[in-house]
Amino acid sequence: MRIKDSLKSAVDSLTHGKMRSILTMLGIVIGIASVIILMSIGQSAQDLILNQVEGIGSNLIFIIPGGTNGKLQSPAAAQGIVIKTLVQTDVDALSREPSISAVVPLVSGGANAVYGDNNLNITYQGTTANFFPVRNYVLAQGYAFTDEDVAAYNHVAVIGSDLANTLFGPNIDPIGKTIRLGNVSFRVDGVLKPLGTGPGGVDQDDLALIPVTVAQNQMLGINYFQYLIVSANPEYNISFVTSRIQSVLEQDHGITNSAEDDFTIETQAQILAVLGTITSVLTYFLAAIASISLVVGGIGIMNIMLVSVVERTKEIGLRKAVGATEGDILQQFLIEAILLTFVGGIIGITLGGLFVGLVYLILTYIVMTSWTFALPLSAVVLAVAFSSITGLVFGIYPARKAARKNPIDALRYE
Amino acid sequence: MMIVVKNLKKEYIDDGTSTIALAGVSFTIEKGEFVSIIGPSGSGKSTLLHILSFLDRPTGGEYTFLGKGIEQMSDVELAGVRNKDMGFVFQSFNLLLRLSVYENVEIPLLYSTLPPAERNAAVEKAVESVGLSEKLYVEAAKLSGGQKQRVAIARALVNNPDVIFADEPTGNLDSKSGAQVMGILEDLNNKGHTIILVTHETSTAEFADRIIRIRDGEVESDTPVTKRRRSLDQFVK
Repeated sequence: MRIKDSLKSAVDSLTHGKMRSILTMLGIVIGIASVIILMSIGQSAQDLILNQVEGIGSNLIFIIPGGTNGKLQSPAAAQGIVIKTLVQTDVDALSREPSISAVVPLVSGGANAVYGDNNLNITYQGTTANFFPVRNYVLAQGYAFTDEDVAAYNHVAVIGSDLANTLFGPNIDPIGKTIRLGNVSFRVDGVLKPLGTGPGGVDQDDLALIPVTVAQNQMLGINYFQYLIVSANPEYNISFVTSRIQSVLEQDHGITNSAEDDFTIETQAQILAVLGTITSVLTYFLAAIASISLVVGGIGIMNIMLVSVVERTKEIGLRKAVGATEGDILQQFLIEAILLTFVGGIIGITLGGLFVGLVYLILTYIVMTSWTFALPLSAVVLAVAFSSITGLVFGIYPARKAARKNPIDALRYE
Repeated sequence: MMIVVKNLKKEYIDDGTSTIALAGVSFTIEKGEFVSIIGPSGSGKSTLLHILSFLDRPTGGEYTFLGKGIEQMSDVELAGVRNKDMGFVFQSFNLLLRLSVYENVEIPLLYSTLPPAERNAAVEKAVESVGLSEKLYVEAAKLSGGQKQRVAIARALVNNPDVIFADEPTGNLDSKSGAQVMGILEDLNNKGHTIILVTHETSTAEFADRIIRIRDGEVESDTPVTKRRRSLDQFVK
């Protein structure tokens, strides 16, 4: 039997029982729509996260205290263990390196920021003047603190736009006003331009930046840094700079075996790669969960096809009597199953795509996030292929059952 | 010789007990004959028809159709012969009621080697020969019993087969429609088609030129019809 004839016959029989065909397809429609929605949302979330990380700047290298012993694990510091090995001498040694343009030490802590009757729980960061150019933080008002402020333990602060709004409101000019962070007073020297939400959904606009010396000695009572940001000299490539940092710090810490390094160097590329892997795995994991519903849909198809084979016993007998071979009958029923799942897949993709578009519109125009619309071609291809394969797999059993019917028994069946 | 049957046997084994449906049947049928196979229910006539029409295989003896033995043919080859050389008319019509007359008659062509371009002409010719041209695109479900059986005959004819097997073709019809159907079969026989008719009614069997009586799986008698019944004798066509 020609494929074209099988197709026509499949369309005839599926349109004959329209309601049943639609209900049978529903499982596949829902399954495919969920795969599309989850893959698309996963892709958008991945884009969002990676964009944010890319925004940090590609010439930046992060040095975190604590080694990984060469194993694939988070450095100790990232696991919340206090490690005190990164200190001022490291910063001085790295600063002398020609392949490095700037070294920015950082410490941070939480405090209640207070001005008058207004207060807000925030995270403050102690750092140096280089922080602003290195992180590309631009001031909306006032000016950033200087290395002299850092050296002189001056109580000056640059605050985020949200914090400025919360403490001062629209009518008071924050510049020159005195705020308290915990029990320590600071003069507000500058207000940052809005930064938006950072990686991990942290609001970056309710922070306060203060001289690292003040933060270490008067707020936290520590003499080490929580991490360093190194800005590589653009004339050198990142991997060279990374290896220089490693040897400078090893020398400074008296380490001879790299496996014993008590620090971890992370470049933006590494962070991107790790985040990319994590988000991809999550996306595919979500898609895998969604495809369970496809299996359920497939079983639904198999069920209905089995019922249909029994109902059409006489038809099968007749077709065999007038010359259909087992192969012809198999083909006819398989094409019916595949057609059901294929059409179901197309409808599922359409519905999923519409839903994803709706999510995009809501997130962009109502929630105002920088959400991207992503309907990955891979997801569409995967969905169509997967739904057709579902039809094939779950159609085979009923189709074989049909093909093997004995024409005499089939003709006698009432 | 079109059909040669020698000592044909069919034994069914079900749960260890064997039932002999055909206990050794022999006869020959020539091209152009109109043969009725008659016998009471349980006589084995249906089994014989199923084997003759390649829907079933014998468990013993020989059956040669147009020079080829059934034993030597694969299932696919049997399907090919059923499609090309045989036509079927059943008591319960076996039309696909959701399809039109045209689509029903077209079914055997879907499994044939006839190029799709020539199907249209073949279907129209077959439907015309049973006098239903004006119903060509009517849904089969909307036809009367007699019309349904005429569509079934058109379907049996569409591949221009050598032999048409008719299994109680008038069993579900009133006498007028039955007569019409018999008239068409008679007409087809006059045009050279071999007709093999299975029935339990002597009156229907007498349309043939020869009657093979089957009883208990054996040929009880095989006699020519001396005064062949003619549809025009009794019925208005």
